[in-house]
Amino acid sequence: MAASKRSGLLIAAAVAAAGMGVALVVGRPVTAQQPAEESYGISMHAFTDSRGVTVLSPSGELSRDFTTRTGLRASFGVDAISAASDSCIRCHPDGAYNARAYVNASLFRKYGDTKVSVGGEFSREQFYTATTGSTSISRTLNQANTTIAGGYAFSLNQPVLHPSEDVARQYAHSAFGTVTQTLTKGTAVQLGYEVSRITGFQNNVFLRANVDGVRMLGNHPELRLRHSITAKLRQALPGRMYLEADFRRYQDDWQVRANTWSAGLSREVSPQLTIAGVYRRHEQTGASFYRPVYTGQPEFFTADFRIFPFDADLYTGRLNFTPKQGLMAFRQGTSLTLQYEYYRNTTKFQAATVTAALRVPLKH
Amino acid sequence: MPRLVRLAVLAAVLSVSTLLTACATVQPWQRGRLASPCMQFSPDGELAAFASHWQESREGAAGGNSLQGGGCGCK
Repeated sequence: MAASKRSGLLIAAAVAAAGMGVALVVGRPVTAQQPAEESYGISMHAFTDSRGVTVLSPSGELSRDFTTRTGLRASFGVDAISAASDSCIRCHPDGAYNARAYVNASLFRKYGDTKVSVGGEFSREQFYTATTGSTSISRTLNQANTTIAGGYAFSLNQPVLHPSEDVARQYAHSAFGTVTQTLTKGTAVQLGYEVSRITGFQNNVFLRANVDGVRMLGNHPELRLRHSITAKLRQALPGRMYLEADFRRYQDDWQVRANTWSAGLSREVSPQLTIAGVYRRHEQTGASFYRPVYTGQPEFFTADFRIFPFDADLYTGRLNFTPKQGLMAFRQGTSLTLQYEYYRNTTKFQAATVTAALRVPLKH
Repeated sequence: MPRLVRLAVLAAVLSVSTLLTACATVQPWQRGRLASPCMQFSPDGELAAFASHWQESREGAAGGNSLQGGGCGCK
């Protein structure tokens, strides 16, 4: 079984490499003009948390326009988990290596002020495979001061019921709509709504709930309807500073309710250097069937920490550097982003991530 | 979510979107600061995707970042 999983990861990596290769070959431009956003990027994320879990995530992405109306966005990456995930470590305190490989791509085409895109994502890791197809459409109105967008995605998620080899199925349908509006020369807002309907197996096979003193696999409902409403503001301030403020209200029919807001300031120190700091606050209630300890014979019970009640804080610092003459051997216009994030929540969980990302224009 | 709340949300979104389209027009030559990367709602897709991925592996709430992939087993 281990060999088949390794070969699965190899297949996923091969699909990712093939996807990028096809993108590079097919992406030969047929027009002389190259939009400035054409680029490729490489990133490295390092994650560590208070349980000793570490994750290294190298990734690559490509943004390529075939014509002035048609283009491709693709990315792939690997999450190399050195000490097992938070769930695994409960049974494997010495660590259990895992890795997740993913590849996604979307093609878009513009028809006047309307843009249509179609894409998909495939990811695979030990005990989990996810396949997603998505489509979206957007249109600019009012002399490009208004943009309306909508989209739909379908995901088939297939967890392996570890330690058995049985595979369960979960289906997720999601749809979203957004309106983005320029209000003044320095103010823009965006309102959005997203709904998801998830059916099928929704337990976490790695977590055990305490039911009458017995550790048991959780039992979640097989239907979940999720809603989120978002409001985002971007405001230019004097002194080359910018304010960002986001709010999200989330609720679902498992009675999880959450308010998440964030506020941040960024400053263009020079044409080459931008710094930013963001604070994010998340407060959520637990699912209706959540209990610290279960007694009797509850219909539903859970040990999934994601649907416990808790509050969380996230602090982000970011620096973006775009040297005039290019960076090292990379061409002019190359930018380097360095980011640090610190996360903590009231379940005594803490995590930190460090990111270094390089974005290189395909032509300058 | 009760049907009434759903209808209210839909009506609110439609109303706001209709109202917003009637806002004063900002001309292309007035958009210098609006074009700054700091004004973008999703300035870096890769960074945003990584952040939402690990946050959703810790939090029960999701959404609001347009559509995501199919998730992972770490959830």
